[in-house]
Amino acid sequence: MPSPLDKADAAGDQADVAIRIQNLSRSFGPVRALEDVSFDVTAGETTALLGENGAGKSTLLKILAGLQPPSGGGVVAFGENVESYDPNTMLTRYGIAIVPQELSLLPDRSVAENILAGIEPGNRWFPSRRRMITRALDLLADLDLVVDPNAPVRTLDLATQQLIVVARSIARECRVLILDEPTAMLTPAESDRLFSLMATLKRAGTTMVYVSHRMPEVFLLADRIEVLRDGRQVAGWRRDEVTPDQAVAAMVGRELGQFTSRAELSVARATDRDESVPALALRGLSGRRHHGVDLEIRPGEIVGIAGLPDSGRVELLHNIFGGDAGDAGGDGTVELLGRPYVNRSPIESVERRLGFVPGERRAQGLLTSMSVAENVGVLTVKALTSAGLLKRRAFDKRATELARGFRVKTATMDQPITNLSGGNQQKAMLARWIAIDPAVLILDEPTRGVDVGAKAEIYEQLFALADRGVAIICSSSDLPELLTITDRIAVMSEGRVVDIVATKTATEESIMTSATGAVTHTGTLA
Amino acid sequence: MTTATAMTRPASSFDPRRLLKLREAGVFAALILLFILGVVLSPSFVQPSNLLSVGQQVAQIGIMAVGATFVIINGEIDLSVGSIYALSAITTGMAITAGTPWPLAILLGVVVAALAGLLNGLAVVLLGVPSFIVTLGSLSVFRGATLLISNGAPISLSSEQPGVAEFTLIGQGRLFGVIPMQLLIFAAIAAIGIVLLSRARLGFNTYAVGGNQEAARLVGINVKRVKLTAFILSGITAGIAGVLGLSFLSYVQGVTGTGLELTVISAVIIGGAALFGGSGTMWGTIIGVVFIGLLQNILNINGISSFWQTVVTGFVIVAAVAADTWQRRRKTKA
Repeated sequence: MPSPLDKADAAGDQADVAIRIQNLSRSFGPVRALEDVSFDVTAGETTALLGENGAGKSTLLKILAGLQPPSGGGVVAFGENVESYDPNTMLTRYGIAIVPQELSLLPDRSVAENILAGIEPGNRWFPSRRRMITRALDLLADLDLVVDPNAPVRTLDLATQQLIVVARSIARECRVLILDEPTAMLTPAESDRLFSLMATLKRAGTTMVYVSHRMPEVFLLADRIEVLRDGRQVAGWRRDEVTPDQAVAAMVGRELGQFTSRAELSVARATDRDESVPALALRGLSGRRHHGVDLEIRPGEIVGIAGLPDSGRVELLHNIFGGDAGDAGGDGTVELLGRPYVNRSPIESVERRLGFVPGERRAQGLLTSMSVAENVGVLTVKALTSAGLLKRRAFDKRATELARGFRVKTATMDQPITNLSGGNQQKAMLARWIAIDPAVLILDEPTRGVDVGAKAEIYEQLFALADRGVAIICSSSDLPELLTITDRIAVMSEGRVVDIVATKTATEESIMTSATGAVTHTGTLA
Repeated sequence: MTTATAMTRPASSFDPRRLLKLREAGVFAALILLFILGVVLSPSFVQPSNLLSVGQQVAQIGIMAVGATFVIINGEIDLSVGSIYALSAITTGMAITAGTPWPLAILLGVVVAALAGLLNGLAVVLLGVPSFIVTLGSLSVFRGATLLISNGAPISLSSEQPGVAEFTLIGQGRLFGVIPMQLLIFAAIAAIGIVLLSRARLGFNTYAVGGNQEAARLVGINVKRVKLTAFILSGITAGIAGVLGLSFLSYVQGVTGTGLELTVISAVIIGGAALFGGSGTMWGTIIGVVFIGLLQNILNINGISSFWQTVVTGFVIVAAVAADTWQRRRKTKA
């Protein structure tokens, strides 16, 4: 439903095109995140953008949102060539707004202030509070949202905050709304609220670009589906021309899409080691956002932790490793290799051969100002120091061995770690822990932001580690991943382990059912 | 997947391209330009005696900058070094006046400075107060303490007192009558700084903590100890500089060294260290120190007023950081 205005300034055949993406490319150093991508986003329609992690979706979105310029090609918005890529131009001139995964709201300001920040009604320096509330109320009513405009945003749940971001974009009269995996952090009920808002917007003629890898949603919402893989556009259909299976096949592409699962690789393993002392035993462990967790992991076993993002699984991992001082004094015990482990801290965990690869690679994993060698070799420093001085030659050699062992692809060991692709950064993060010969390895989102090829390599390496007797505990929001790499899966919901299943017998649906509390759990959802 | 083996080779010890890419290269080029400018403007600039006097003048700043480099690479800041400088000088001066043997008096001054650094570090690490605030406060506290213990009165070392002649030789003496002792002490401390920062485990951990504190903590690096060490080093170097200042002038008063912290931080920043931590080198700092020294010297011998020197130094700091930012942005765009 293009408005008459669009038709007026567009040239004939482009009348229905909101955004035309033309031969768009973007490279980061040697890494080509986006290569020669072209497609049209039709005005008034919802276009779904599919792709695995690392397929180039986020790069494309960042270009559209004006967060980074393309290296080649261009974007035509409503018939006009985009000349300057910055967020303000994209929003005010072309009406393109993005709802990012990390919401950028002002947590201490009210809903009304957040929606209208920068476009306050009335005097520019002294906006009228009363008129702001009225404006906000009108807008919220248009969008069928029931939210108190005076409430500080901090007091709202994540799902509502997301709807506020949408409202903020609409207040700025955006014509194209980009939603980047908006349901990743939402419960099904919350997702439904978002979908009904999207339906409202669509009736009002808003063009939407929807990014997700959840097929049911995509087929519910999209008019058109575009698929990216390895930075290229590999397929595009009208929704009724394609089945979910075909879409998945296009997304995954290469034969690596079907990883050989651990269940298929080994049958006898679990029973082999049943006699041994658990590598890690949690008894009634409690801390921030998790309570009374009982779990045992044997050497050579890979145990997955599934659950919604707010289920407390990440906090549980931090508590085991001692990464969060806020957990000190919590109830319950941790036993590592049969010995109680009480005063947990990262320093002590390293001594006890307990490794942890955190989920936020950039914030918690990478030593951002250091080289590949320094990142991989960081845990060898202590052993390779004598009289306070680091034996640099031995260090470089050891770091190179570790990197090679995990197939980190890098031109040189002394280039900055930030030059590597996400997959190779992640391999470096895993490789560094081999230096302490880990007995237990804790992984959070081990393949987040990693391309399919690197993913397969990481899985192989994890299997090899487990075969050498390392106990691995792995939390992931990627259910197919858990079903592929684990022996057992503990499902968490609202801070408790609600189910522990053998991976062989589990399905995505059965795990989601437990995780969302549909069956085993009777509490209320947030 | 055997075809895709890791292309890993160890860092070669000599690679000409690496040399060009060194972060100090830019500052070093600027230093050479400044040198040429100095030569063009005034022939007396290149006289060895003039250059050695520059060395004499920058020594104390340089020594303090060695400690400050550790603090800044950690992503912290120490604004109290000017006050610690005075605290240490007054302590040593009072001890000497009271008849303490001069080596012991020096030790006393440096230990007091180290304790001051320790206090800064403890407040940052244990209370979690940002170092800007902590040292803004301790700048005042240490200055006040200095005035209190000296009762506001200046201390003049009398050359008739035994030991004072030897003590003042440290600051005023010249090796073979040519090279200022202060410059030699700066060189020695800078050498220790280079080894500690680029060869020692402490240096490795300093870069790790400064680059990403959370990641460093999660690989078992004792972040608190690394930061504490940096503040102690900063205190010690400020203390040594204070003692040298006393030795050079035979005189100190409670307000001595006011504002030194800004010159010290400027030198480190001009040397290429980033205020948000994780980057910077000791060589860069040394170049930054020499740069500031030469700049002031050139302005001096060309008869430009010291007021203008302050203005120019200010511009240079902003220009240095702007050049660095521009270079960095260009690199990420590639």
